[in-house]
Amino acid sequence: MARPSMLRRTIATPLILSALLVAFALVAWLAGSRPFNQTVIDIFLQVIFVVGLYTFVGNSGVISFGHIAFACLGGYVAAWTTIKPMMKGVSMPGLPDWLMQLEIPFWAAAVAGGGFAAFWALVFGAVLMRLSGIAASIATFAMLAMVNSIYSNWTSVTAATSSVVGIPIVRTVWPYLIAAIIVVFIAWAFAISRYGLALRAARDEPTAAAASGVDIPRVRLIAFVISGAIMGAGGALYAHSIGLVTPDTFYLGLTFTTLSMLVVGGIGSLSGAVLGVLILSSLIQGLRWLEAGVQVGASTIALPGGVQEIALGAVMILILMFRPAGIMGNSELTGRIARTEKPGEPGEN
Amino acid sequence: MKRLTAILAATTCLSGAAFADDERIVVGFATAETGFMQAYDKPAQDAAMIRIAEINAAGGLLGKQIEVVNADTKTDRAEGAKAGLSVIDQGADMVVVSCDYDFGAPAALAAESSGLISFFLCAESIKAGIQGVGPNSFSASVLAAVQGATMAEWAYNKKEARTFYRLLDTWTEYNKGICDGFDWMMPQLADATLVGEDTFLNEDASIAAQITRIKSLPEEPDAIMLCTMMPGAVSAIKQLRAAGINSMILNGSGVDGSYWLSAVPDLSNFFVPVQGSIYGDDPNPDVTAFNAKFKEVTGGDPSTQYTYPGYVMIDVWAKAVERAGTTETSAVVAELEKMNGEPTLFGPRTFTSELHHQNQARYLIVETNAGKPGVVDEWTISAPIPVADLMK
Amino acid sequence: MAPIMQVVFDALSLGSLYALGALGIALIFGVMRLVNFAHGDVIAFCVFALLWPSVDAVAIIFAGNLPWFLLIPFTLAVGAGLSVLSEVVVFRRFRRANPATMMIASFALGFVIRYFLLMLFSSRPKSISLLPGLSQPVELLGARIPLLQLITILVTIAVLIGLTAFLRRTRFGLEMRAAAENFTMARMLGVRANRVIMGAFALSGALAAAIALILGSQTGTANIMMGASVMLMAFIATVIGGMGSLAGAVIAGFALGAIATVMQVILPPDARAFRDAFVYGAVILVLIFRPQGLLAARGTKERV
Repeated sequence: MARPSMLRRTIATPLILSALLVAFALVAWLAGSRPFNQTVIDIFLQVIFVVGLYTFVGNSGVISFGHIAFACLGGYVAAWTTIKPMMKGVSMPGLPDWLMQLEIPFWAAAVAGGGFAAFWALVFGAVLMRLSGIAASIATFAMLAMVNSIYSNWTSVTAATSSVVGIPIVRTVWPYLIAAIIVVFIAWAFAISRYGLALRAARDEPTAAAASGVDIPRVRLIAFVISGAIMGAGGALYAHSIGLVTPDTFYLGLTFTTLSMLVVGGIGSLSGAVLGVLILSSLIQGLRWLEAGVQVGASTIALPGGVQEIALGAVMILILMFRPAGIMGNSELTGRIARTEKPGEPGEN
Repeated sequence: MKRLTAILAATTCLSGAAFADDERIVVGFATAETGFMQAYDKPAQDAAMIRIAEINAAGGLLGKQIEVVNADTKTDRAEGAKAGLSVIDQGADMVVVSCDYDFGAPAALAAESSGLISFFLCAESIKAGIQGVGPNSFSASVLAAVQGATMAEWAYNKKEARTFYRLLDTWTEYNKGICDGFDWMMPQLADATLVGEDTFLNEDASIAAQITRIKSLPEEPDAIMLCTMMPGAVSAIKQLRAAGINSMILNGSGVDGSYWLSAVPDLSNFFVPVQGSIYGDDPNPDVTAFNAKFKEVTGGDPSTQYTYPGYVMIDVWAKAVERAGTTETSAVVAELEKMNGEPTLFGPRTFTSELHHQNQARYLIVETNAGKPGVVDEWTISAPIPVADLMK
Repeated sequence: MAPIMQVVFDALSLGSLYALGALGIALIFGVMRLVNFAHGDVIAFCVFALLWPSVDAVAIIFAGNLPWFLLIPFTLAVGAGLSVLSEVVVFRRFRRANPATMMIASFALGFVIRYFLLMLFSSRPKSISLLPGLSQPVELLGARIPLLQLITILVTIAVLIGLTAFLRRTRFGLEMRAAAENFTMARMLGVRANRVIMGAFALSGALAAAIALILGSQTGTANIMMGASVMLMAFIATVIGGMGSLAGAVIAGFALGAIATVMQVILPPDARAFRDAFVYGAVILVLIFRPQGLLAARGTKERV
C-alpha cells in the first residue's frame, strides 16, 4: 500500500518509540516492586489509549471526546468473555446463553474487545463522520455520554454502576508492552497508508483534498474504526490490569487525561502521543513520590496533599504556553535531530 | 490528634524493614488519604487506629504489638490496586480497603489474589465479600438493603405509615441497595401500598420534575423512601421541603450527621437508621465514651456513624486472630465465620460461610425534629434478608 | 398527570440554569474561540468563596452570612475577578494557539482551581444555607412552585434583557459584538482587543457567579464538582445553539432544560434511568440535521 521509500524513511519512528517502551518495561522488571510494576502497566495502557486517540484525532484534526466510550465497550467485552460462567450468572444474569458459557484467555478478550468496539465505531461513525469541527467533537461527547448512561443503567447485562469483578488479573508487564508496541505499529502503518495520507491532506486542506477526489467522511470513518478498535482492545486490557470494570472508570476523567496527554505531546504526532504519556506519567509519579515524602538526610520532606494535581495542571499550562503545538508539534522522532527540533504547525480544526 | 500521630509514627517506623515474617502482625491500610473518598475513609480509619491502640496498650495481639502500614488510593481505582499491592509488599497480614465497594475492590482483589484477608471499612454492598471479591473478603458495616428494610418496617409499625413513595438516585449501588431492601420488605407489610416511584441522578441540578410527580398524587404519601447519598441528598431534601411536601422522609445511613442540617433549616419528620449515635444520646454509654475518646485523639467529634465500622472491624478481626492463635488467613476466616451475634460496641455481628456481611442488624432510629437530631427508637428487622434476595 | 403549568415552570427553571451557563461559555467563545472548560470550576469557586477555608465536616460560613444586597454583589465580583484573573494569567498567552490547545489549557486551569479548593476545603461536600428565605413555596397560575424556581426564571430573563441592552446600547457592547463577529477586522477598526476580551471574561465570570448563587441556594451544598454537570449541559447548549451565537446559546439552553424535564415526565419508570441517553441522542440528532447549530454564528442575524 505505502511506497517502500516512505516505509524506509519513517520506520525509525515506531522503532524508536518501541525501544523507549521496552526501556520502561525493563526498568519495571529490574525494580521488582509490585506497585511500581503496576504503575508501568498503567503507563502502557495510557500509551494504548492515547495512540488510539491519536490515530483518529491526529490524522483527522477532529477533537474527539468520545473515544473512551470504545474503551468502555472493550472493557465490558473482557468482563463478558473472561469471568467464570458461575460468577457471570450472578452479576450479569441477562447475558445470552452462549456468552454466559464463554470463557476465553485475556488476549483473545482484547482482540474481541477491539472487534466489538470497531463494530460500534462503524455504526456511530457512519452517522457522526459527516460532521466536522466542534459539532463533531460535541457529537462524539454525546456518544460517550449515551454509552455511559446505558452501561450505568442496564443492570442485567452490565451490572449497572456496580463494579463487575472476577476478571482474571494479569500482573506481568510483558503483555501490556507487546500490546503497546503493536498499537504503535498499527498507528504508524495507518498514518503512512493511502488513507492516512488522504486524511491528513483533508485535515490541512479540506477543499483541495476533496477536489482531488478524497472522500472525507469515508477516510475519517476508516480512521474512526481503527482507533475505536485500539481503544476497545485497550479497554479490555485495562479491565485485566485491575480485575474489574465500572462505567465511570471510562468517563470524563479518563477522557480528559488522555486528551491532555495527546495535546501536551503534540496532537499531530505519533511520537508526541507516546512522549506525552511518558512525560506526564513520569511527572505524576515523581510528584506522588514527593507527596508521599522523600528522605533527605534525617528529615522527611513531603508536599501537602493536593499539590500534586495543582502542579500537574500548572506544568501542563506552562508546556502549552511555550509549545502551543505540544512538545513534538507535528514532527516525529526519526533519529535525526534536525527534524525533531523543527516546530510543527498546529493541525487546524 | 497528637496521640494518633505518635501511634502512627511509632508503628510506621517499626515497619521500616518491609518483610513478611511471623514475628510481626501488620495491618495494611490501602485507603484514600486524598480525593473524595478520604472524607469517608479517614474517620473510620481513625476509629480503627483507636482500637489498635487499645489492643496494643493491653499487651498486643498474640503477645505482639500490631503494626500499621499505609498506602494512598487517591480515590482512584488503578491507584487502589497499586495501594493494595504496596501494603501487601510491606508485609500486611490483613488489608483494610476503602469504604466504598467500587473504590475498595481493586485493593481487595489484590489481597484476595495474595491469599490475604481484606476488610472493607464500611462497604454496604453484598459484593464486598464472598459474592464479589472472594472468600477472604469481609465488610465491617451492614448491608444497605437492611437500612431500607428497617426504615420501611419501622415506619409501618411505629408510625402507622401505609402509603409509601420510592425516590431512587441511580448514581450508586449503595442507593439501589437501600431501595432493594425497601422493595423486599414492602410485600410483607399487609395493606401498605407503594403509591408511586421515580428516579433521579445525584448530580441533577434540579429535581423539580420528580417533585411535580409527587405533588400530582391525589394525596401526599405517608412516607417517602429516599434512596440517595451525599451530596445529592441535601439538594433533594431541600427541594422536597421547599416544594411544601411534608411527608415523613425515610433514608439510609448515608445522610447521618448534623453537619449538613444548616442547609435545610428546621428540618422535621426526617428519619435515619444508625449503628451508633454521634449525638451523645446513644442508649449504650460506652458509645458516648468512645465518642469522647475519638474527640480526644482526633480533635473532633465523629461527624457520621460511618466512623464506627472501623472500630468494629479491628475488634472482630483481633478476636478471630486471638481465637485462631495465628494470623494465617484460612484459620482467621474460619474463626470469623463462627461468629454468631458476636457482641460489639455497635450491636451484634454475625459472619457465616455464606455471607461476610450483616443481613440483619440492630439499628437506632434517629429523628430530626425542628433541625435537632436525636435517637428516638431502635429496630431490628423481623427476619434476615435472604442471600438469594440480596443477589437480585 | 402533572399539571401542565407545573411542568412548564420546572422546564423553565432548569433551562434558565443551562441558558445562563451557555451564555457564559458563548461570550468567551465569541471573542476568542476558547471553549472554557474552567467555567464549571469558577462556579464552584464562587460558592466556596462564601465559606472560610477548613477541612472540618461543618462548614464555617464567612461571606455567606452577609445580607442579600451585599452577598449578591460580592459573589458576582468574586466570579468576575477570578475569570479576569484567569484571562490575564493564562489565556492571554494563548491568543494565537489553536482551539484544541486552548481547550486543554482551560481544562488544566480548571483542574488547578478544583484541587486548590480541595486542598483548602477537603473533598467533603459542605452545607450552606444561602438565601434561606427563598426556600418556600408560592402559588402561581395554579402551580405551587418554590420561590427560588420563580426567581431563577425572573433573574435569567432580567439578565437576558440587561445583556441585550448592554450589547446593543453601549459602545463596549458594540465593540464586543464586533469582536465576536470578526475579531481581526474589529481590531483593525480600532476595537481594543484586550479590553473587550477582559470584559467578556468579567461578564462570563459574573454569570458563573449567578449560577453559583442559584445552585447554592437550591441544593444547599458546596461541592467541588458542583459546576461540572451544569457546565457540560451549557457547553452542549452553546454548540447546538451555534457556537458564538448568544441568542442560539440561550435558546438551546432552554430547549435542553425542556427536553430533560419532559423526558422525566413522559418516560415510563423503567426507562427513566436512561433519561440522559435519550437527551444525548436528541443532541446527536440536532447536530446531524443542523451541524452549524440552531442559529449559525456567521452572517447576518440578530444577537440577543
